[in-house]
Amino acid sequence: MLQDHLYDYVKKHGFSGYTELRAQQNRNRAVSMLNGSLVSNSSGVSRGVSARVVKGGAYGFASATGYGADVETIAQIVQAASQNASFLDRHVQRGQPDFAPVQPFSRTDGLEHDQPVEQSYLLALADELDSYIAERFPKLLSRRVFARVLDMEKLLYTSDGVVSHSFVPRSNVYIFMTTQDQEGQPVELYKVLGGYGNFLENFKNAEDYFEKLEKQYELLMQKAEGVYAKPGVRTVILDSDLAGILAHEAVGHTVEADFVQTGSVGGPMFGKQVASEKVSLVDIAHTAFGELAPVPVFVDDEGTPAQDQMVIENGILTGYMHNKESARKFGHKANGNARAYEFSDEPLIRMRNTCILPGTEKLEDMIASVEDGYLMTDMNNGQADSTGEFMFGVPLGFEIKNGKLGRAIKDTTVSGVAFEVLKTADMVSDKVTWTNSGMCGKKQMIPVGMGGPAIKVKINVGGRA
Amino acid sequence: MRKAFAVKDQAVLDAAELVLAEIKSIGADEGETWVSHNILTELYYELGKISMVRTVFSDKVNVKLLKDKRKGTVSLNSFDPLDIKQAVADAWQAAQSAAPDEAEGIAELQENLSFSSGEEKPDLDRMYQQLTDLLADAKQDFPKISFDSIGVEHNYSEKVYANTNGVRLSDAQGVYQLSNMFMAKDGEKSSSFNYFGTVYSDPSERVIETERVRRILDDTQQQIVTEQIDGSFVGDLVIMPGCLENMLWFVGDTYLQDGAMISGTSPWKNKLGEKVASPLVSFSLVAEHPELAMENYLSGDGYVAENMPLIEDGVLKNFSLSRYGAAKTGLERSANSGGTFVFDKGATPLEELIAGVEKGILLGRFSGGAPSPAGDLSGVAKNSFLIENGKVTKPLSEVMIAGNLGDMLHDTVAVSQERENSGYWLLPWVRVKNVTISGK
Repeated sequence: MLQDHLYDYVKKHGFSGYTELRAQQNRNRAVSMLNGSLVSNSSGVSRGVSARVVKGGAYGFASATGYGADVETIAQIVQAASQNASFLDRHVQRGQPDFAPVQPFSRTDGLEHDQPVEQSYLLALADELDSYIAERFPKLLSRRVFARVLDMEKLLYTSDGVVSHSFVPRSNVYIFMTTQDQEGQPVELYKVLGGYGNFLENFKNAEDYFEKLEKQYELLMQKAEGVYAKPGVRTVILDSDLAGILAHEAVGHTVEADFVQTGSVGGPMFGKQVASEKVSLVDIAHTAFGELAPVPVFVDDEGTPAQDQMVIENGILTGYMHNKESARKFGHKANGNARAYEFSDEPLIRMRNTCILPGTEKLEDMIASVEDGYLMTDMNNGQADSTGEFMFGVPLGFEIKNGKLGRAIKDTTVSGVAFEVLKTADMVSDKVTWTNSGMCGKKQMIPVGMGGPAIKVKINVGGRA
Repeated sequence: MRKAFAVKDQAVLDAAELVLAEIKSIGADEGETWVSHNILTELYYELGKISMVRTVFSDKVNVKLLKDKRKGTVSLNSFDPLDIKQAVADAWQAAQSAAPDEAEGIAELQENLSFSSGEEKPDLDRMYQQLTDLLADAKQDFPKISFDSIGVEHNYSEKVYANTNGVRLSDAQGVYQLSNMFMAKDGEKSSSFNYFGTVYSDPSERVIETERVRRILDDTQQQIVTEQIDGSFVGDLVIMPGCLENMLWFVGDTYLQDGAMISGTSPWKNKLGEKVASPLVSFSLVAEHPELAMENYLSGDGYVAENMPLIEDGVLKNFSLSRYGAAKTGLERSANSGGTFVFDKGATPLEELIAGVEKGILLGRFSGGAPSPAGDLSGVAKNSFLIENGKVTKPLSEVMIAGNLGDMLHDTVAVSQERENSGYWLLPWVRVKNVTISGK
């Protein structure tokens, strides 16, 4: 755990002007087995301290590795940040006042989860899963088991008197299986296990996951006999895992206040109908439906206490995600969306746990309502655009014919314009699931959670003619 | 510049030697380390103003050791001897639990060399001037362009590779880089996001004077009001250079690199020396090139990198395999496993290349996932135009494309004489037939 040397710095030097001072440690472990060979067996620590100083609206940032007890080293970083702010302030002379101060507070979150796991534990678990796959599933062309740990620990002091020490653990195991279709072409499917929590908490026994491996293999065999989707706008049920990425990619990015200011489609639609009234969407800070969200944020990296940010309420666009500067500009309340990935990164406006809220329908009734369409069940990457146009990859889905599930479909992509697609949402299921391995890229990477129920929409499918 | 091994920053070499001493003393059979000292200086523009100056000092150490062919690797960002000692102990512990792998090893003894290029110190005043010039020039020449962000960076890094076979290599490189994201706006209407990245050695150059930059800004201004197409058809893609780089990365991942080759999923795994593309297709990975600012002198596994053809006149000449990937597959280690692509220019003038398209898309950007192991890919055509009867007719939105990478290489029917240069790639326009293009 990080020692609190920032306290010693603040006690000796105090702050001169608006300053955020952050020590951070990202701890990672990775084990990757490819066809039984250990291709990666690594661990690492990225640790350092950063300062961000604001003068007249000009930001100066500096960071360095080597966080330790030497208070003067910390002082040099604060000084470097201050010099950078002065350089810019001299040039731009913006003359803006400091941000309105927040009430001082001090809190710790998640430190009890800081239980380092030995590399040998990851190796043993990956080996056990790999052996099971090798023995049980002879039709595989290749298999890969990838275990990963990312623990993010932050210690933040601000000139407002905010002190926050947080620890957010994430541990996942990715299982990739590849077989061949009838033409001899490789067909792949992957599954992500785990999520929030340290590796010991999430992966007590390998056998707990054997049933999921069996299911994944069965789905892969169906996919190998699957067909390409037909292109064009189709009726599609996006299962709950896909609704989360829809919330993140299709809507979330367009309502980040920095993108709004640049000209995203979220700007002119504020206060207007952007989705069917069955759709409500919120960026959860830390707790949802009585449980901790996949990426709980209690205090953001500007020292703002984190609260849920309502984005769409019964189809109406009601909120943006903000940092302190954009909240001041819009006259809104900042709810803790300023986040940084590494100690060397400045906070940016980022999502936390973006979620479409559940409806009342049952998935089976939704399937029964579709005459000719698809059920998309798995997703991989996604991208968004300022215009609201989005896409995400779909590695697995099924045809729906006359209300019944049919053949599996091979890899495809779905796309659309967010607010148009959401207006077509006429059924929303009553069950939310979270995906909790996602990393979002926007200058920096950042862990995010994505959640939602199954949702029935009309959407463009990128199939083969 | 290439010379006999000599470092500028002794602390970097001292840390590397300490790692090797610890590796030997703990009882490992062999080991290697990468050690670097990096300084990043960034000037950042966002939301209508130059908002931040950022300086990042970072030290990085990567440790790999082997005992009885069992591997342990650890990374840290400290040169503190106690931290290094602990890191080697952690790597040792990791290796104890690992399964042995006969393919593991480290680079063999070779000539110890040092490379250097670029400016060590950033010139912040020139960077500031360059950024303000770009903003003013864009406002004047492309008034509908709205930048979301622009980062002007100077990166200086001195890195050392050292291993227990006696290999010592170093690379000290200072390079400027400009990245950005922008759109074109007219009232409440806006284009898709677009971007251009560029790497260069002299921040005095006016960015707007680059032909490539002007073309991308001009294209984006034309994409504020887009049209959709009805139904789907099989037609041609004219892939613009920046998008082609994206496709070449996909080719590397799907067909040529360690992952696909070791797993055995690469459709080209047995096709070395065979025809895998149209004879018009020739591209290479380069370590250095007279027209490119970016240089990649060293491979990730401790070798001096060389320029290497991947496909020559449609024939697969090399895979892109690391030492480990080569040992694992029984093939030769590649002379370059980096990602700086140079695609040979073709014989067709760009205008003629487009004129030959009956119906298709001029593809500026591909928004889609990585291809399946079979090379199937689908995604959205971004920053793109419709081509009809040899003419670029209208900007598009909500259009998807689907095809197979391997098929697309075979179906390449023209390569432009013109190429664009980002400083880290040098690529032409390429015309591909038989791609599924679908609208609403």
